[in-house]
Amino acid sequence: MRKRKINLWGWLWILIGVSYFFVPMIGTFEFSLRAKKGELSLLAYQRVLQDPNFIRTFSFSIGMGVLTIIASLLLIAPTVYWVRLRLPKLRPVLEFISLMPFVVPAIVLVFGLIRVYSGGLLSLTNTVVGTDVLLVGAYMVLALPYMFRAVDTGLAAIDVRSLTEAAQSLGAGWGTILFRVIFPNLRAALLSGAFITLAMVIGEFTIASFLVGMNAFGPYMSQVGRNRTYESASLAIISFALTWLFIGIIQFIGRGKPGQGQVVGAR
Amino acid sequence: MSFLTLTDISKTFKDTAAVADFNLGVTRGEFVSFLGPSGCGKTTTLRMIAGFETPTTGSITINGEDVTYRPPNRRNVGMVFQSYALFPNMTVADNIGFGLKVTKRPAAEIRKTVQEMLDVIHLPELGARYPYQLSGGQQQRVALARALAIHPQVLLLDEPLSALDAKIRVELRSEIRRIQQELGITTVYVTHDQEEALSLSDRIVVMNAGRVEQIDAPFRIYNYPSTGFVASFIGQLNLLPVVVQDASAGAVACGGQIIRTSLSIQTANGEAVRLAIRPEEIKVAPAGAEAASDNRLNARVEGVTFLGAIVRVRAAVDGLAEGPLLAVDLFNDRQLVLPKPGEQVALVFPPHACWVAEHSET
Repeated sequence: MRKRKINLWGWLWILIGVSYFFVPMIGTFEFSLRAKKGELSLLAYQRVLQDPNFIRTFSFSIGMGVLTIIASLLLIAPTVYWVRLRLPKLRPVLEFISLMPFVVPAIVLVFGLIRVYSGGLLSLTNTVVGTDVLLVGAYMVLALPYMFRAVDTGLAAIDVRSLTEAAQSLGAGWGTILFRVIFPNLRAALLSGAFITLAMVIGEFTIASFLVGMNAFGPYMSQVGRNRTYESASLAIISFALTWLFIGIIQFIGRGKPGQGQVVGAR
Repeated sequence: MSFLTLTDISKTFKDTAAVADFNLGVTRGEFVSFLGPSGCGKTTTLRMIAGFETPTTGSITINGEDVTYRPPNRRNVGMVFQSYALFPNMTVADNIGFGLKVTKRPAAEIRKTVQEMLDVIHLPELGARYPYQLSGGQQQRVALARALAIHPQVLLLDEPLSALDAKIRVELRSEIRRIQQELGITTVYVTHDQEEALSLSDRIVVMNAGRVEQIDAPFRIYNYPSTGFVASFIGQLNLLPVVVQDASAGAVACGGQIIRTSLSIQTANGEAVRLAIRPEEIKVAPAGAEAASDNRLNARVEGVTFLGAIVRVRAAVDGLAEGPLLAVDLFNDRQLVLPKPGEQVALVFPPHACWVAEHSET
């Protein structure tokens, strides 16, 4: 039997990649344990978790994230589906629009939003609810590239047209087609888009600090980083752990029923 | 009276006419196939019946009701797709029961119908499986059951066997015909496979470039093609260059050898036309053999190909140096003496087996 050759170069690059990722994290973690002079302790974590602002800002950002996800999915999933089904020529236009948030800096976006929605008929910044609505709207724009790509890739993996027509011929209307045929088969794609959006909203600083200030998690993390050295390191590790927790949850939910995500067609 | 009627149907995509002047009446319980090459408009016509395309002109009626502009989900027409289009997130039973759930039938009725349909397609145990756990043939049976479960007025099948391998295709072909006859459902079947169309259909609509070439029973389509396209598209056909010798007597000359047809020819004497003969109508006899009242062409064997049930001989007709090789199909049997390449033979066929193809360029 032929002996398998070990690819040393391959392993070297993997090692470099893993080190690049883990060494700073290990360093940060080690640093976060040094809040008590002369010994390693979880004091910094204790302080962070006991700070009522941590829970308050984190809950607020999670809430904004969930609202952004719901609103984005309701807007983007049917739009991308319809473009794939009936208006395929518009797909490049949609793709171009989805890239705009990468071109327009968040600071420009937030100034524009404040200017437009601070007076006149759509005066949203005068009330707490209005500001939150504006924040969700801004996050929807920022999430557009990720959400669009996730949904578009998911739709590319299924035979959208045949599934739609099969459902139509069986008497289904658009609502049934979307919610019982198309979306269940996009489960993994929708969840990955949702996760990226949530992670982005939790850590977002620029827009949150101008619209809601210290109510959001991003500005809170920034302030902790400025004032409390060890706590900022522990906060970084906590947010990292929470991120992984969300990945785990999404992986768990995303497994779905057998057969979901299978591509239809000849075998 | 026709159950499904298509009257003066045409469909134009921008400047391209996909279907033109299409007229068809299908009686209740009839099995009609649309047959033609790719791009001939057969699928477009089927999609207009299903409601996925709207005709540019004309009307479609089912059971006397005009459905031309009715959306597909309100036509009660079952459709089977080439790609199966089973819902991947649902089990086989859920797929079959989908149409009934949509129309809010009672759960007990849905369960009963699903089991009946699983029995009809001979897969009674597979209700709990997911589509990806089935073979291609099984998936297509489920797709058929799903389309039938809603008790559609018309069943439409769009090249349902194209994605399957040859053996499964033949098996499933018989299954489709059996189920269609058992249920007596009016069926329109689209295919580019002439064997499928000939074996399944009560009538075949042969289409070419968006137009109907001939609508007839399979026997007549094959033996009495009404246009040159149908003659050349259905089965194998030899087209020999000949010159009309005596139009009223139906005599032509091929490389100096006289051939008689059973009908008079509608072309002037001396005109160059093409003579059509099916390969299976020709017999190979030893050179110099008498042929009584049959036509007899001297030829030289150029090649012999063994195809299993038949043996195809290709022969060059004497006096036709530049002409095409004539294909002759011999039914295989163990005693068959195969002619050898280079051997001189006589090709024998009766006058009624050949006809002048008017559209000789096809």
